[in-house]
Formats: sequence, structure tokens, C-alpha cells
Amino acid sequence: MFKNGIIAKTALVAVALMTTSAQAQETVVWWDFLAGGDGVRMKQMISDFNAAHEGQISIDATTLEWGVPFYAKVQTSVAVGEAPDIMTYHASRIPLAVKQGLLQEITPADWKKMGLSKDDYADATWNAVTIDDKQYAVPIDTHPIVLYYNKDVLGEAGLLTEDGTPKGMGSREDFTAMLQALKETGAVKFPLGSVTADGNFMFRTIYSLMGQQDGELMTDGEFLAGDNKKKLENALATLAEWTNEGLQSTYTDYPATVALFTTGDAAMMINGVWEVPTMVDLHKEGKLFEWGAVELPVIFDHPATYADSHAFAIPANKGKEMSAEKRDAVLEVMSWISKNSLFWATAGHIPAYGPVTASDAYKTMEPNATYSSLTENMIFDPKTPLAGIAGPIFDVMSTYFVPTLNGEMEPAKAVDEIQYELNDMQ
Amino acid sequence: MIRNPRKEALVAYLLIAPFVAIYGLIFIYPTAQLFHLSFTDAPLIGPGDFLGTDNYGRLPGDRRFNTALWNTAYFVALTVIPGAMIALAISLGVSRLSGRLQALVLALFFLPYILPVSVVYRLWDWTLNFQFGIAMHAFDLVGIDRVPIFKVTGWFMPAVAFVTIWWTAGFSILLFLAGLRAIPREIYEAASLDNASRWRTFRKVTWPLLWPVTSLVLTIQLILQLKIFDQVYLFSDGGRPNDNLVMVYYIFQRAFERDQGGRAAAAAVVLFLIVIVVSVLNFQLMRLSGSRNK
Repeated sequence: MFKNGIIAKTALVAVALMTTSAQAQETVVWWDFLAGGDGVRMKQMISDFNAAHEGQISIDATTLEWGVPFYAKVQTSVAVGEAPDIMTYHASRIPLAVKQGLLQEITPADWKKMGLSKDDYADATWNAVTIDDKQYAVPIDTHPIVLYYNKDVLGEAGLLTEDGTPKGMGSREDFTAMLQALKETGAVKFPLGSVTADGNFMFRTIYSLMGQQDGELMTDGEFLAGDNKKKLENALATLAEWTNEGLQSTYTDYPATVALFTTGDAAMMINGVWEVPTMVDLHKEGKLFEWGAVELPVIFDHPATYADSHAFAIPANKGKEMSAEKRDAVLEVMSWISKNSLFWATAGHIPAYGPVTASDAYKTMEPNATYSSLTENMIFDPKTPLAGIAGPIFDVMSTYFVPTLNGEMEPAKAVDEIQYELNDMQ
Repeated sequence: MIRNPRKEALVAYLLIAPFVAIYGLIFIYPTAQLFHLSFTDAPLIGPGDFLGTDNYGRLPGDRRFNTALWNTAYFVALTVIPGAMIALAISLGVSRLSGRLQALVLALFFLPYILPVSVVYRLWDWTLNFQFGIAMHAFDLVGIDRVPIFKVTGWFMPAVAFVTIWWTAGFSILLFLAGLRAIPREIYEAASLDNASRWRTFRKVTWPLLWPVTSLVLTIQLILQLKIFDQVYLFSDGGRPNDNLVMVYYIFQRAFERDQGGRAAAAAVVLFLIVIVVSVLNFQLMRLSGSRNK
């Protein structure tokens, strides 16, 4: 009896200790897929958060492999109740996640607690995290693609306007003429560096060009209905023309494209804003020419740029209810990071939280301030479980984009095949 | 000592029980579940409704499944027999060397086998990348047009097959060498006394005596290559994934990208049956031709 008594007492003390420390400090388990230059900046923000919430909330963060591995792990861990308390998520993947029941709704009460609301976000961004009038994530940023350009080369060729941005951004003819002019200078191997070996990536460019004609990928559950097919063909034909005229790099994969641009072999490059830190850092070390980044050229009727959004989501762990204290801590994390996302802009991304982009500090940040105008022209993925980063639509597109962009397949044939395969997936 | 057969049997059962339990838990039970799943419309995680044989019925009409089936067969044809022949040729060469030189040459051929697939991918991408690959600079020097090897459907499978043979030949070479060493020297001495030509010695001595090893290598390779996935997945990154599909890739797409556990399971069952049928056929064929050789 004596022995048992001691054990009971020890256990009691231990339990008491644990509860007091739990009351004092909530640990929030965090998963993200941010492994690049933006990952470094997010780690900085996490440690700033931890410092500001000393003794109350502490984030325990893990970075996982981007893409299919991340999303597969989320699915399996939610099913067995082992998912984290908070995770980063692509807005484009939310339709599938909601269908699978992976995410907890962010309720109106939650938004109120966080001190955030619909008015703080661009409509397109808010819409991207909304399914059937319910929100499933808190957007951190939007990350569109932009046109990077080599100011030295363009300047020498007389292709810069007075404020230092490229001329020839207004129409297909103007832009193609600019590429031709760059080719004729002989100063670069390629006027435009394009990720032509990676159709997954080119989806962003091509979808933007479709958006410039008000084209839609999916209408009423059907892919490429009506003249949307023609619009996709137009977009592909533009890019195929650049290849045929020798104006863009062929069979170039992602890292090679960045290398072509940064070594000065390509005068311009269409790529995501997440490459901004690469340029900033290289330039700081004196290893890069003068450069800039602007919104995509208007090839068709009006400006439009494809964007996705990084957002915070709360997994719907099976068989494991989240305590109210824990949920409050998670909400505080989302709220604090959103409100302090000015630093996140140094990763190139456009912060989703409006007051940050409206601030004076943001307006002096370059090149961010120059391209942030595109926020009004953003288009997101179609809302279907088949869409999203590393999703099935990407695979179908990639299979036909690569031969078309490299002159192996006619755009019209590619579009027929894409339409067949997309509709075949449902 | 008087033996008690019943007691012995009991002890035997007790001793194998842990193995049977684990085998049942991690192999038999999941396999049974897989068959069950293939008749439902289950997502990747969780149960689904019973559908009958719908998932199987949809396979023949599925363009991607047909691509996967055809590519897998093509890949097996490109790797199994050519790979074994190359390994045999190399091991015949290596076996003529002796001492440290032999150890060194063998090590060189075996080295690629110990590399993880991701490293193999990096190495060959570095070599054959269209813009920056070192092989492309060599092409430029000789004046041949650059070829985007992993981005063109016609080149893809042969190139991946080549890389796979380069990567995995080391293991087959080891097996062949062991087989060659097991052939008694005296037989070769007798053959040379009879003034048999080198080709005749190979045909009449080495080949038949090596046959058990050859059939082992072929069977291992066949099963391995039917399950090809990693290299194809890595090399088609960003390229033309749906044209490069193989069976396991198709299953992966269905399950992990499209969240269709049931349809993935049906394809997995088909692959399972193909592997069983083909390897049994292969084994029987080897046995038959082996007995004829005796």
C-alpha cells in the first residue's frame, strides 16, 4: 500500500505540473511546404512570433516536401488524427480538401476573434478560400507570375520606357516585335526564357493568356466548352509562334530557365514572384545586372494573371477534438502572421492582408510595388477537385503543352487532346 | 528417448506462430483488403460503396490505362533480356581478369547499383539536360543536333531503359560471376584438350551450366521491371507524364492525385495478376528449356 501511495502521489504531482504548464503555454504544431527562399523568411516570422508570445504560445514547426508528398501526408494523417494544429495550404487545393473533409471551417466567430474580415482581402483571394459561402482557410499571400527583365540589355536596345519598364507590353504584335528586336541585337541567346520543358509550370502562363480573353477552363462542370477551346488554342498558338521564330528557349526546365535569365543568356523571363529573393540576393552580391519585374504583357484583350494563394488551414483531425484553448492559440497564430506579413513580401509574394499592401512601407518596396497592380487582374484555378498544384489537370496540360511549345504538335491538335482527356477524367 | 509427435507439432506451431501472425497482418490482410477495395468506389482514405466489377469494366476503355499497360510491356522488353545479356557479357569479361584488377573492375561496374534512385536521376539529368547537360556540349562539338531526350515520347522509354540497365546491371553481374565460378575448371581443361573453340566452349559448357543463374536473373529482372515506377516518375517530372505512364505510375495517379482508391485498387489487382501469371509462365519456360539443355 505504501508503495502504491507514493506512485499515486507522484502521478498526481506530475499531472498537476503538466496542466499548469499547459495552461501557461500552448504548443501549436505547424506543417508547411516552404523550403525555398520564402521558407527562410517564414522561419524568421515563426521565431518572431514565438518571441512575441513568450510563455503563452509556442510554434513547433516542420517543413515537408512541396506538392504531392505534402498533400498525401495531410490526407493520411488527418484520417488517423495525427495531423498538425495548423498547416499551409494552396487555395487551389481547397476544393479537393473540402470534398475529402480534411479542413475545419473558419467560422464567422473565428474571423471576428482574429480581427480579420472579408474587407481585408481582394475579392478573388477571398473567393479562392470560399466553398459554398464558407471559408476554409486564411489567405497569407497571393503568388502570381510576373515578367522579369534585364534592364541593361533592354536599355541598350532602346526598349525601356522613361520609368524603366519594358515598352511593347500592350499587344501581341508589340510584344513579339520587342522579342524580335532583342533577337536582332544578338546580345542574348534567347529574348525570352520560358519553362518550355515543364508543362506544369507553363499552365500558369497559358491560363493567364486564356484569362486575357475571358476564357474559362471549366463552365458548368464541362471543360473547354464553347469558344473556350478556341481561346486556349489562341494562347498556345502565341507561345508556339515565339518558339518557331526562335524567340524563346526550348525544352528548358525550371532551374535552367532561372539560370538562363540570371546569367544574362535570356533577356526576359516569365516566372513566379517567389524568384524575387533570388534576384535581390544575387544583385546584392554584385552578381546580377540591373533588373526589374512587371505585370505580364497584355497579349489579348485585357490584363489577367494567374495566381494561387498560400493560406493557413486547420486540419479536421479524425477522432481528436481540438481544445478551445488550442483553437484560440491557432487563431492567434494566423492573425498575428497575417498582420505582420510585410516581411513576407520580401519573399516576393503579395501579402493577402489588404492593410499591409496599402501601407506606405509596402509602397516603397521594389519591385513588389510595381507588380502589385496586378492584384486587380488575378484569376485563380477553376473550382474543382481536379484542379490545384500537382493535381490531375496539371498532368493533362503538361503532356500536351510540352510538345506544342516546342514545335512538335499543332496547337489545334493539342487542344482537342486536352479537351478529351480533361472530360475523360470526371 | 520417446518422442511425442503431438507435442512436437504443438511446439512447431508455436514457433511459427509469430511469423504467421506478422505475415498475415502485413501481407495477407492488406492483400485481401485490396481485392475488396477494388470492388468499391472508395477514395484514398476510408470506405466506399460496393460497385461490383465497375472499376474493372472501365479499365479497357481508359486511354491512360492502355498507355500504362503498353509502356510497361515495352519497358520490360527493353530491359529484361538486353539487361541480362549485357550483364552476362560483362561478367564473362570480368571473370577473365584476376586478383586486384578483377576486384577493381568489378567494383566499378557494381558502383552504380548502390546509388539511390534520386542520385541516379540527378546524374543523368545533369548529363542529358537539354540546355545545360554535358552530353549536349559534346553533341555540339561533334555537330549533332541536341536532343531533348526525356521530353520526347520516342526517346523517353529507351533512355529510361538504358539508365535502368546502367543502374541495376551490377547485381546481375554479381550473380553471373558467382555462377561462372561454380563451373569446375576441369571441364574447361577437358574442352581445351579436345581442341574446342572458344565459342563452342561457351555454347556447350558455360551456357548450359550457367542456365540456372540465367533463369534466376531473368525472373528477378522481370518482376522488378514490371513494377517500374521511380525512374519514370522522376524523369517525367514536368515533361509529358501522361504519355510516359507505366502501371505503378497509373495506380499512383489514381490513388494519390485523383483520390480514387477503388479504381487504383482495381489497377493494382490487374498488375498483381499479371506479375503472378508472367512469373509462373517464365518459371515454367525456364524449367522446360533447362531440362532440354541437360
